[in-house]
Amino acid sequence: MDGFSYTNIFDTKGIEYLVVIAFLILIVPFWRALNKPLKTKEIAGDALGVLTAAMLRIPKGLFYSSNHVWTHLERSGNASLGLDDLLMHLTGRVELKNFKNPGERVKKGDLIAEMTQDGKPLRIMSPISGEISDVNENVESEPAVLNEDPYRKGWLYKIKPDKWSSETGNMVMAEEARKWSEGELLKFKDFVANSMIRHAPQTSEVILQEGGELTDYPLSGMPAEVWEDFQKGFLNIEE
Amino acid sequence: MNNSDMAISKKSGSKSTWSFLVNELKPKGKIFTPFNLISAPIVILGVVLIVIRFINGLGAVSNLTQETPWGLWKGFNVVTGVAFAGGAYVITFMVYILNLKQYHSVVRVTVLNGFLAYVFYAGALILDLGKPWNIINPIIGNNFGVSSVLFLIAWHFLLYMIAQLIEFSPAIAEWLGARRARKILSGMTLGAVIFGITLSTLHQSGLGALFLMAREKIHPLWYSEFIPILFFISSIFAGLSMVIFEGSISYRVFSDQIDEAKQNKRYDIVHSLAKICTLAMFIYFFLQIVNFVHGKNYEYLNTRMGYWFLVEMIGFVLLPMALFFYSYRKRNILLIKVAAIVTMLGIVINRLNVSIIGYNWDSVNQYYPSWMEFVVSLTIIIVEIWVFRWVIRRMPVLREPPSWVKNK
Repeated sequence: MDGFSYTNIFDTKGIEYLVVIAFLILIVPFWRALNKPLKTKEIAGDALGVLTAAMLRIPKGLFYSSNHVWTHLERSGNASLGLDDLLMHLTGRVELKNFKNPGERVKKGDLIAEMTQDGKPLRIMSPISGEISDVNENVESEPAVLNEDPYRKGWLYKIKPDKWSSETGNMVMAEEARKWSEGELLKFKDFVANSMIRHAPQTSEVILQEGGELTDYPLSGMPAEVWEDFQKGFLNIEE
Repeated sequence: MNNSDMAISKKSGSKSTWSFLVNELKPKGKIFTPFNLISAPIVILGVVLIVIRFINGLGAVSNLTQETPWGLWKGFNVVTGVAFAGGAYVITFMVYILNLKQYHSVVRVTVLNGFLAYVFYAGALILDLGKPWNIINPIIGNNFGVSSVLFLIAWHFLLYMIAQLIEFSPAIAEWLGARRARKILSGMTLGAVIFGITLSTLHQSGLGALFLMAREKIHPLWYSEFIPILFFISSIFAGLSMVIFEGSISYRVFSDQIDEAKQNKRYDIVHSLAKICTLAMFIYFFLQIVNFVHGKNYEYLNTRMGYWFLVEMIGFVLLPMALFFYSYRKRNILLIKVAAIVTMLGIVINRLNVSIIGYNWDSVNQYYPSWMEFVVSLTIIIVEIWVFRWVIRRMPVLREPPSWVKNK
């Protein structure tokens, strides 16, 4: 065995090399993991109580009006209408009152219901004109359905529309509605920042986009002034 | 009416400029805030102690000895403070060299922060010198000592302060309404930035190099010939953590100075800084491992200092790195701030370990800072914050520059 001499690499530079190699091997997955598109969060958002656009229910066959009322023309010729999921996620549990009665006529922009939470009101306007043919009294006695099933059990009115096609012309549907909702959510984040700073600066950080995301039901817990601003910015119908 | 408009509306006669300056010197905002009530007594006490120090010498207020000539003022205010000021060169590098415009809104405040840090912490050096008047020697060439690291640091501090002042000077010109001066000064910004980056990278590591001379005095777990590199890399995430931390305080305290668009952009900036911190800390952690293996310091691990070393490495490097990673992925701004604070604590611990705790670790006469040293240290920091606040309230640092800047 002449010529063989064993050198203990661990005594010299061996471990250092191994550490460096380990670093070079690890930095690739590390960097990739750091830069992976942020997807899991949106799926998990529902469970974490975070409000993201991905978790909103936005059925494709409905028309969405800019004041967060959806409407849908049924085969009978009546249009059903109700509140959209985004609005319910922003407000949380609410009560509805001051309904119109069947047979009354409403015009686009008329007040059709008042929504309250701890005395803070929001006014719901009709996005279409016509004659009311049915009112869902269920939502008055059991307002939770508004949050749970806003598009079926949570409908508010059936209206016989006067000018269906002209009045729904500005409304959005399907993919457009999803994009619009995402936009509304962003707009809402800005709104929270601005409105809270004006009305309740000391608490704004709590609800405001810590981590860039809203918690679910961000409006509940905000002062009445913010609700008033919200009414102006999101629920009024511009003629 | 904001200050700069005020400056313009006054005709630039010397008398009105003078009264403008006098007027600006007065405090703005409430005087009896909780922060002022706590900080004012400390500063008063601190100033008294500083006077005593200059009358009766270092021994009167500090526990420094011939054996331990560098204490809290150097270890904390100078060595640690300069690391925190590292944000300025990182941010200016990103904005002016890499042209990452999205960080532009934090440049001024970071440069201001860095500039004040240098002024005050280099100022703290004067307190620490037995013969403070000798501080001018490396500049005027009285015994140049060109082979000394201190020589390099002295010049770098001086030049870098000037570079940062130039980088910041457009804000001063805007405050004074000096349009021509602003034009000239902002033309010098890029040059100052390049010069400044060169200087900071060199002296961040230079501060580490100071400790190369103290090989026998520093605990082997912290001493290595790579201290300069470790100091340099760690100044990146130390500085950025400071930007995150200082930003979140500023944006709360000075919310009246910030328009909403900036407020929203801030989350994006903090978020992406978290990513840079994660990567820098990852690299730093591996450098520490390599360094540890290279020094063959295994036997020290199972000692008291060894445990402390592990606390630093795991609790204040690995943990905040993981926090940064996680919070970046989740885009959790609150958690990013937490990570920044843990990182900053880690930097304080690391710098103190090198300069104080691990320094003369086996000596019989251990150095413990006196309470007076703590008060003086705090005084320096508080006065810096006061000046910072004074500048922010007057110059367009956080708020938008006056309209004439854009209309040109």
